[in-house]
Amino acid sequence: MRRPDGLDKAGPRKSKDQRAELMLGALACIVLALIAGMIIFVFQKAWPSFSHNGLDWFSPWAGGNVDDQLTAIFESPADPSHYVYTMHAWPLLFATALITLTAVVIGTVFALLSAMFIVEFAPEALRRVLEPVVRLLAAVPSVIYGLIGILVVVHFFDQHLISQGSKDSVAGVVALNGFSWGVGALILTVMITPIMIAIVVDALRAVPTTWREGAVSLGINRWRALWTVSVRAARPAIVAAAVLATARALGEAIMLSMVTGSVGFAPNPLDGVIFFVEPARPLAATIVDNAEGLSVQPFAQTLYALAAVLLISAAFLSFAGWYIRRRLRAYTLSPI
Amino acid sequence: MSRTAARLLAVIAAVSLLAAVPAAAQAKKIITISGSTSVFPLETQLARAWIKTKKGKKYGFRILQGGSNVGISDVAHGRVSIGASSRDPAAGDPGGLVFTRIARDAICMITNNANQLGNINQATIKGIFVGPTITNWGSVPGATISGSIDPIGRAPTSGTHDAFKNIFLGGTNQGSFVAAKSSNGLVQQGVQSDPHAIGYVSLAFTQGVNTVAYNGVACTLRNAASFQYGGVRSFYFVTRGAPVGGVKKFINWVLHNNKANKIIATDWVPLH
Repeated sequence: MRRPDGLDKAGPRKSKDQRAELMLGALACIVLALIAGMIIFVFQKAWPSFSHNGLDWFSPWAGGNVDDQLTAIFESPADPSHYVYTMHAWPLLFATALITLTAVVIGTVFALLSAMFIVEFAPEALRRVLEPVVRLLAAVPSVIYGLIGILVVVHFFDQHLISQGSKDSVAGVVALNGFSWGVGALILTVMITPIMIAIVVDALRAVPTTWREGAVSLGINRWRALWTVSVRAARPAIVAAAVLATARALGEAIMLSMVTGSVGFAPNPLDGVIFFVEPARPLAATIVDNAEGLSVQPFAQTLYALAAVLLISAAFLSFAGWYIRRRLRAYTLSPI
Repeated sequence: MSRTAARLLAVIAAVSLLAAVPAAAQAKKIITISGSTSVFPLETQLARAWIKTKKGKKYGFRILQGGSNVGISDVAHGRVSIGASSRDPAAGDPGGLVFTRIARDAICMITNNANQLGNINQATIKGIFVGPTITNWGSVPGATISGSIDPIGRAPTSGTHDAFKNIFLGGTNQGSFVAAKSSNGLVQQGVQSDPHAIGYVSLAFTQGVNTVAYNGVACTLRNAASFQYGGVRSFYFVTRGAPVGGVKKFINWVLHNNKANKIIATDWVPLH
């Protein structure tokens, strides 16, 4: 029997299309199975850490010092019934949120303005240089940013931005020597902005020219046409860019491990200006710094708990991004 | 598609056959080592020299890093023949392991070149790294700067942290305000860029910083070898049970051969 589209369904030779479809479907299924397996594996490993601490794992008021707790877990006795699990990870969670949010908020503003410039105002010659450079920057490995951070930025902060008086005022509590969440957030901003610029540029380009021409013909200038028509229409893509950038920022480990100070300290906004140069250590950097201890079972389970939190945050983030984009598409006219 | 795949398979098979032939012809026994990053440069040099000797010719090496604890866990699970450790045996280690000391290594206290601190004693180190009862360079005799002290240390999982704790701090853990870096190089870099910093590193990482004498003895290879310097730790080869076969031959060569001794003496302290 012949199908209306002319393709033989049960012929001796299946069409190449059908085989490709099967292959791709199988590949997609493998990826899904891998992700599911990974989540189950991580949570199964992490469970003892969560179950021993309950909500104290996440609570800002649980008390204790997270680095002392990590050391105690690492030095657990060999007997499984005496394993130490006490872990109050708030400083690490706070540092992660603080660094990520700061970088993404500043980065989004920069990326939006740069993309607008590249698409609408940059002279052709400049644009031809700018775009490849932005794409190149988006691909620079993070360890290179880390090296620049440690050799240049940290040193600059230490020498020129932190006074000896403020260093002395907190001596013995934290060391203000340039290694700080502020430097981490600054470099992270530089790392994620190019990704966002690349996405937003493509989105602004995709807005039909006629829309902007229509706006200009109504008598508003180029800047306002860009802002009120193109940027509005590209909002779903801007959200997508921010989500992608946040995901990269959340998972950034090497660079942050190198520049943020390696202390499980929660920077305190009430400290005034020195808040910005206080050290911290986010989740991913903690995992990298302590990976050597994976052979100690309770310590490994604690590290897996950190990983589980990162996994959940990333999943939640992409869900939130998808939801916001759907809302935006539902209520605005959008070409993307 | 299938034809391409078949061709690809054929190529892969051919390549792997080619690779397998010389390996099969020599039929070397492979000794695997994993573990401490501090021991890694030493063990690779030793292994390279040993496979050129008469006994060692029959053997090959596969050497991985990962840290002392990784090495100890790997050898306990039978994943490698030798675990390299830069820390002493601990109460929590799996049973049945034999630690064979192969060399010694000095841990030096370092400060920035702007701070030409000549000597530091154990009480002061404890005051800085545990207390913190000493938080200002003004109260450290011999310091050439004043102001806050920035202590830089290693993460609790590192062998160097363990050795520092046992030798310099008398068994107490460093305070949580001490920056916990993940490698010797990062500590060295941190001290190099911060005039107020003090840290501890393996002797091989003391270029570009001021090396401080401990309890009146300078941190040098010579003083470490003569046991005058107190901050000396041991490097171990860890085996499951007493070493046997090729592993035994290799460890014996490392312990007793003159050539091995010379290799150790380039950057580390031989046992005799």
